[in-house]
Amino acid sequence: MSASVTGPLRRFWRVLGSQRRWMMLGVLVSLISTLAGIALMAIAGHFIASMALAGATGAVLNYYTPAALIRAMALLRTGGRYVERLVNHEATLRVLSRLRLWLFDRLLPLAPARTGFLGSADLFSRLRADVDRLEHAYLGIGIPIVVALLALPLVLAVQAAYAWPVAVLTAVAATAAAVLLPRWLIVRSRAPSEAMVRDEAALRAEVGDLVRGAAELRLYGADAVREARIHALTDAQQMRLARLDALQERGQSLIPLLAQAVAAGTLLLGAAAARADRLAGPDVVMLVLLGLAAFEVLAVLPEAFTRWGATRAAAARVFDLVDAEPAVEDPAAPAEPPSQPDISLRGVRLRYAEDAPWALDGVDLELPFGSRVAVTGASGAGKSSLAAALLRFQPFEGGRMMWGGRSITDYATDDVRAAIAVVEQRTHLFDATLIENLRVARPDATRAQIEAAVHAAQLSECVAALPDGYDTWLGEGGAHLSGGEARRVAIARALLADRPILLLDEPTEGLDAATAQSLMGALATLAEGRTVLLITHRLEGLSYLVDRRVRMERGRIVADEAVASVSVASCSDRFSTTH
Amino acid sequence: MTHADTDEPPAVRAKASGVASVKADAAPGATDWLAQQQGTVRRWLLSAMGLGAAGTVLLCVQAGLLAWALNAILLQKAHVRDVLPAAAAFVLLALVRAACSVQARRFGFEAGRRVVADVRMRVLEQFRARGPAWLARQSSADLITRTVDGVDALAPYYARYLPQKAAAVLLPLIVLVAAFPADWVAGLVMLVTAPLVPLFMVLLGGVAERASQRRWVTLLRLGNQFFDTLQGLVTLRLFGAGARRRVLLAERSEAYRRETMSVLRVAFLSSLVLEFFAMVSIAVVAVLVGFRLMWGDVAFTHGMFVLLLAPEFFLPLRALGALRHARMDAVSAAGDLAALLESTPPAAGTASAASSKVVAPAHPPRIEIEDVRFEYAPGRAGLDGITMDIPAGRTTVVVGASGSGKSSLLRLLMGFHEPSRGTVQVEGHALDALDADTWRARIAWLPQRPHLFVGTLRDNVRMARPDADDVALERAARAAGLDAVLRELPHGWETPLGENGYGLSGGQAQRVALARAWLRDAPLLLLDEPTQHLDEASARAVQEAIATLRRGRTVVQVAHRLDAARAADQVVVMAAGRVIEAGAPAQLIADRGAFFRLLQNEEAA
Repeated sequence: MSASVTGPLRRFWRVLGSQRRWMMLGVLVSLISTLAGIALMAIAGHFIASMALAGATGAVLNYYTPAALIRAMALLRTGGRYVERLVNHEATLRVLSRLRLWLFDRLLPLAPARTGFLGSADLFSRLRADVDRLEHAYLGIGIPIVVALLALPLVLAVQAAYAWPVAVLTAVAATAAAVLLPRWLIVRSRAPSEAMVRDEAALRAEVGDLVRGAAELRLYGADAVREARIHALTDAQQMRLARLDALQERGQSLIPLLAQAVAAGTLLLGAAAARADRLAGPDVVMLVLLGLAAFEVLAVLPEAFTRWGATRAAAARVFDLVDAEPAVEDPAAPAEPPSQPDISLRGVRLRYAEDAPWALDGVDLELPFGSRVAVTGASGAGKSSLAAALLRFQPFEGGRMMWGGRSITDYATDDVRAAIAVVEQRTHLFDATLIENLRVARPDATRAQIEAAVHAAQLSECVAALPDGYDTWLGEGGAHLSGGEARRVAIARALLADRPILLLDEPTEGLDAATAQSLMGALATLAEGRTVLLITHRLEGLSYLVDRRVRMERGRIVADEAVASVSVASCSDRFSTTH
Repeated sequence: MTHADTDEPPAVRAKASGVASVKADAAPGATDWLAQQQGTVRRWLLSAMGLGAAGTVLLCVQAGLLAWALNAILLQKAHVRDVLPAAAAFVLLALVRAACSVQARRFGFEAGRRVVADVRMRVLEQFRARGPAWLARQSSADLITRTVDGVDALAPYYARYLPQKAAAVLLPLIVLVAAFPADWVAGLVMLVTAPLVPLFMVLLGGVAERASQRRWVTLLRLGNQFFDTLQGLVTLRLFGAGARRRVLLAERSEAYRRETMSVLRVAFLSSLVLEFFAMVSIAVVAVLVGFRLMWGDVAFTHGMFVLLLAPEFFLPLRALGALRHARMDAVSAAGDLAALLESTPPAAGTASAASSKVVAPAHPPRIEIEDVRFEYAPGRAGLDGITMDIPAGRTTVVVGASGSGKSSLLRLLMGFHEPSRGTVQVEGHALDALDADTWRARIAWLPQRPHLFVGTLRDNVRMARPDADDVALERAARAAGLDAVLRELPHGWETPLGENGYGLSGGQAQRVALARAWLRDAPLLLLDEPTQHLDEASARAVQEAIATLRRGRTVVQVAHRLDAARAADQVVVMAAGRVIEAGAPAQLIADRGAFFRLLQNEEAA
């Protein structure tokens, strides 16, 4: 195989670093127990044949050594298997840990500019499947192939020492079993495997439609049609699975078949050699049993080779994802962060690809420290791009962006972000307890600080209602917070982070009016004494947070106007006097 | 004749499927449930087992042939042509055995396939029985996982695990029956070790299996947490928390590794015992047979025969161990599926069995709701005794905080909720006396976030009226403002939508829904805050399109912005599942009641 074929797997091997020692140890132990198993049968055959011969001819025989060897091999095999399983488990868990940390290290600097795939359910589940494949590469591919490659020559050498035609016969059959058969299997299963992946994606999409669009389907009387489509897809999927399964079984039953053909061949070759007195009778018995037992190591090869292709593809895909350059690199010698980050944009342009339209097309914006500005505009106007440029998630191409009087590119990107607290539109709640989720923003936060932030974010009632209070498990395995509550967690995080600049990204989007309204107090507390940059497609209901509003269209700022300064408190006062 | 046991340790095997359910211990009913599904495919399972048994009988014959031929070579220096027939028969039998195993696998697969098709059908039936209102409250990702991956996980259990389980009992018996007449001593060795294996498997295996199942669940959770961390990368970067998270990840997997290994050292003892007996029985058989051969107590043919059979005796049991994960996956999936399938669903508007139902009126209907109560679950009321009169051809706007029952009201009108009390009358007919299909055909609905289905834009609009021609489609598109969207789309009407399709913006999707409503041309129009998630410009455009659409129809509109309410013929204010105020908007403002207070609050914001 050429370098480009093995490339991704070789690279994967390098990624594993020091864990490779465990893998090699695992291979060694596996090899020993495999050879012990093969030797057990061969020696046992030889032993009983010799004993039978001795019984028939009355010859004297040293039976202690072979009998002891048989017991030793049995114990070696048994103990070897136990140690082998432990070592291989150890190795697999170490590989798993190593691989995940490596992936995390590589992906972190790429987020979010180069990690769009994390947001797509389809691509993300493919990444999961790929990583899963790599985690099992050692057990599924490494062990069987390496052990077969090491054990087989030893067996062939023993056979050749007694009768070289038997070794040739075994070598030919083993090549057929280990090389030709897997290749045939891979070729034949490629099309149905690919079709099956498509079927599964289609099935998922159809079931998704049935679940998410249930109301529409019921209303339009189309649910029966959809169900029929799912059943048809299930049938198609199962048909392909059946074909793959039959293929695999045919491949798998071919190996014992070859083993038995070799046994029959050895029998005939042995008969001829024994008759010509070139080979002792017990040796014939030993060779027949040796051949049968040796094929044991080949039985797992077709599956291992099938996985080889899939794993190589998985490795290539994963490397493809992590090999992206970070969108924004840190400068070689980052400047000290300024004490007062005034922000100033002059003619800033940004686009996501060489041939993409400008997402920011010459933005001029002054945000001196303490200013409170809303950026509004329809979706696609450039609001999010502006935030991404400021957070140093996306590079800008033209113009200047100043940060405390110096070009923002002089600072480490982490230092820039360390001055900005963001209330994300879709904040991520980790699969962890509430308190761990809050401490993401400030790991050393004291209980009192956390409680203060929770109180200010108007989250106290919610915490009180949770089954285990702060220790309630959120996310995947635990309680799910409502949209409003999740937003409050985001606000509490921003409060805990306590940074001079506050970036609010659609803080009330997706919430109903009453919930949005109830966040007013929390947001107002959060905004106090900070630079506020509010990104929203409509200012309605949020104007109390800002005193200036800029409107964006097609990547430019088209209007910049003052917003009547109203505090939350004076808001309701004014209302009650006018009505 | 031997196969390697490819046991992939269960503790390192976590499925990659997205939202794999993580439960510490599968529901006790899960195994019962799996057994119940067995009934329909018993025939296939039995066929697979029968072929497996036939294969083992043939194996015994092969062993006999091989032993005979070796005997001839060893003791009679037989000529090649003397052993040739035996060698040929041996290979022929190998072919037949291979065919048997391929066919057995096919039968097993058929059993799995049938269970998958049957269970998936029942899951979908269950979805339909529970209705859209129930589905809307579930996590769709979870339901998709259950319906696709969960059901798929059942197949290997029936296709592979069950036949192998039967084989583990049946095949050693066949071997034993064959071995005993040949050499009763070796037979005795097998007979004595055989019951020890299941005994130790039960003693140690139970402990081991529980331990490895717990490990497996922990591993699954660890995997979920890792991928959850990847999805939160942006949040981590925003808070500069990446390095800390890395430490946490490393610590967790290290702790997991330590714990797992200490558990496995004990858990693997069960397979050590199995391996030990398998190997020791081979060794003991070999040594015993050897000495008895020397003493002349047994013929070489017979001795060789039992030695060849000895490894086969334990093989099915070892192969079963390799399939344990198939069982674990199936049990975990079965827990979820049994819970989904076995609880009786609340009747949800599917009770349209009678054919004597009244055909729903075709003109804009008047709807009277009288003291209707509806519960999501016992004690959790969605609607708590509402009474209202929705006049024909007029617009009724329903306002209230989220959770006050506004959307439940719309679902009630669509027949997705079955009230536990009270009546809904349409033009004097009880809603449940109307033919459900014709009644739904009288409704057009604009949800907050319309669902776009996998298919073309044309399919997506035309689903509202499958018999509509292109002229009607174009007309609906114009009226809904979809024509402007169409011009921007690369493939116009043929643009693929839905998952992996072209992503329409919220405003564009809402125009698709509007076009559906126009095409539907229904006398009752239900609006569920259709402009909630749109930017100002899109909201305005959609509102204008709705203004024309509503003419001459009965409209029930759920609104969060009250400017819509001012122009309504009637305003209904809801709170906590009840109607707290209803009347003309001007009247309600004059009364300075709940509606007035809502108006005040909104202007304050």
